[in-house]
Amino acid sequence: MKRLMALIKREYWENKGAFRTTPLIIGGIYIVVFLMGIFTFGYFDNEFHTLKEALRALIEHTDASQRAFGVEIGLMFNSFFFSLVLAFVVFFYLLGSLYDDRKDRSILWWKSLPTSDMLTITSKLLSAMFVVPLIFFAVYVATTVVIWLIGSIVVLVLGENPWTLFLGVANPFKPLGLLLASYLAMAIWALPLYGWLMFVSAIAPRIPLLFALVPPAVFAVLQIWIDFLRTFTLKTNLGGLMWNWLANSPLIMSASGHNGEIGASLGIPITDDFDHAATLGNMLDRLFSTDMLAGLALAAVFLSAALWLRRRATDS
Amino acid sequence: MSNVIEARGLTKRYGRHTAVDAIDLQIPAGRIVGLIGPNGAGKTSALKAILGLTNFEGELTVLGKDPSRDRAALMEDVCFIADVAVLPRWIRVWQLLEFTENIHPRFSREKFHEYLKFTKITLDHKVKQLSKGMVAQLHLAIVMAIDVKLLVLDEPTLGLDILYRKQFYTNLLNDYFDEQRSIIITTHQVEEVEHILSDLIFIQDGRIALDCTMEVVQERYVELMVSPDAAEAARALKPLFERVLFGRHIFLYENADRAQLKELGELHTPSVADLFVATMTEGAS
Repeated sequence: MKRLMALIKREYWENKGAFRTTPLIIGGIYIVVFLMGIFTFGYFDNEFHTLKEALRALIEHTDASQRAFGVEIGLMFNSFFFSLVLAFVVFFYLLGSLYDDRKDRSILWWKSLPTSDMLTITSKLLSAMFVVPLIFFAVYVATTVVIWLIGSIVVLVLGENPWTLFLGVANPFKPLGLLLASYLAMAIWALPLYGWLMFVSAIAPRIPLLFALVPPAVFAVLQIWIDFLRTFTLKTNLGGLMWNWLANSPLIMSASGHNGEIGASLGIPITDDFDHAATLGNMLDRLFSTDMLAGLALAAVFLSAALWLRRRATDS
Repeated sequence: MSNVIEARGLTKRYGRHTAVDAIDLQIPAGRIVGLIGPNGAGKTSALKAILGLTNFEGELTVLGKDPSRDRAALMEDVCFIADVAVLPRWIRVWQLLEFTENIHPRFSREKFHEYLKFTKITLDHKVKQLSKGMVAQLHLAIVMAIDVKLLVLDEPTLGLDILYRKQFYTNLLNDYFDEQRSIIITTHQVEEVEHILSDLIFIQDGRIALDCTMEVVQERYVELMVSPDAAEAARALKPLFERVLFGRHIFLYENADRAQLKELGELHTPSVADLFVATMTEGAS
């Protein structure tokens, strides 16, 4: 356990820029954009209606439950850019995870220490699945707190009560908890992809990105072509499969209508394999599906292959 | 105590090329072994097999373990420097220290600081900010602070200045080495290590050309220096090798009659470098 923790810390040190600085920059951008929005509004005060009037109109035309709904959906959906960048960070992290130290030959140093290759791979996978999403989530929460603080000050200055306006109307822990759950569910849902990336990272002699993308792309194109010559059966095609995997994922990616109500959605609500409403039950539905089982089997194959390769890997 | 390394028929092939060709090897505890061979002789391949970095054919046990299967467990008792330039460039010295301390049960922070004192390296340095020689110093400081039974050094002093090289070998012999430990060194600077070696192994084309203790080397081989007029007589005694230095002929003999040689000229113990050249030339012809 002590060794695993040391290994995970090692991953954090090596990728501090991607793991920590990147979400901090996004958080900074959120705050700057929010401030710019307020200043823009303030700047046009005389020609347009004032911020104060806009605020009063908001209070008059909405009731607490409507505003609570807005706060909840905002808390979930505002995370969009964090989730997007998180996906890129994890993608490139895993792609380099078993490649970079082979390239710079530092693998000879790591392998001179009494840690098994199994533990090394575990530490890298756990970092991608949990460490990075947790950091991104924490920074997102911190960003939200700062924005709410600034918002409250502005509302107070304008003579209104921020507590009755938005702070006190909704329980923020519910949407944030759901968002966190969605990150964790996505980590499991994405295991076949993570396994593939680690496998490519362990096998690629150079430019792992190419090895990660080109073979599946060629495979998918060939498949589409052969399918096209016969019939139109896109669902079984690798490209179609990947599209379904993305559309059905348990990550909060969009906001749309469900059962006559607008709400945050899991994945992209264009398929009907699963219910897309952002609830814990719908996430678990995906994790306990046969699709997930097939995905886990695939992930196990890729990860075992990655481990086999890592055991034999040296600098040349 | 049993042997630290036991190999029987150890073979490593890369495709059609055989890098290590069925070598037998026994290295007991408490020895400092010099593994010497020309480039591409199979030294590094043999070491990689011993360190569990590659698969191989034949039998090989290191400290009673199979290195290809139990690398992680083996590395608690074995430490190696495969190349001095392999410390990760992004890491800071304090991170390296903390990591190694958490991972290695036999790492001593105090000893590490002791060795680091001799250098200009600080805990806040990043490896990529250090010169090549400083990286080597850092790596050596870590390795010397780990208490293991077998230390493998593959060209450990590459890029170091002569002062530090001398210092390093002195430390290795005085502070580090004892009866319980074994050290294997490969290096091209044979002159620098020959006085600390207890055993010598020459390897050529994947095979062992010579494997004996330094005492045996001194008993078995002798160098004779003669003036040109005695060269013919010396040549008649079947030397292994002949060279000419400042107009004097130098002959290397194996198991020769020293009394007979002494009549012809001066006798010396051959240096490892000269013995190496003689053995390799003989093996090649």
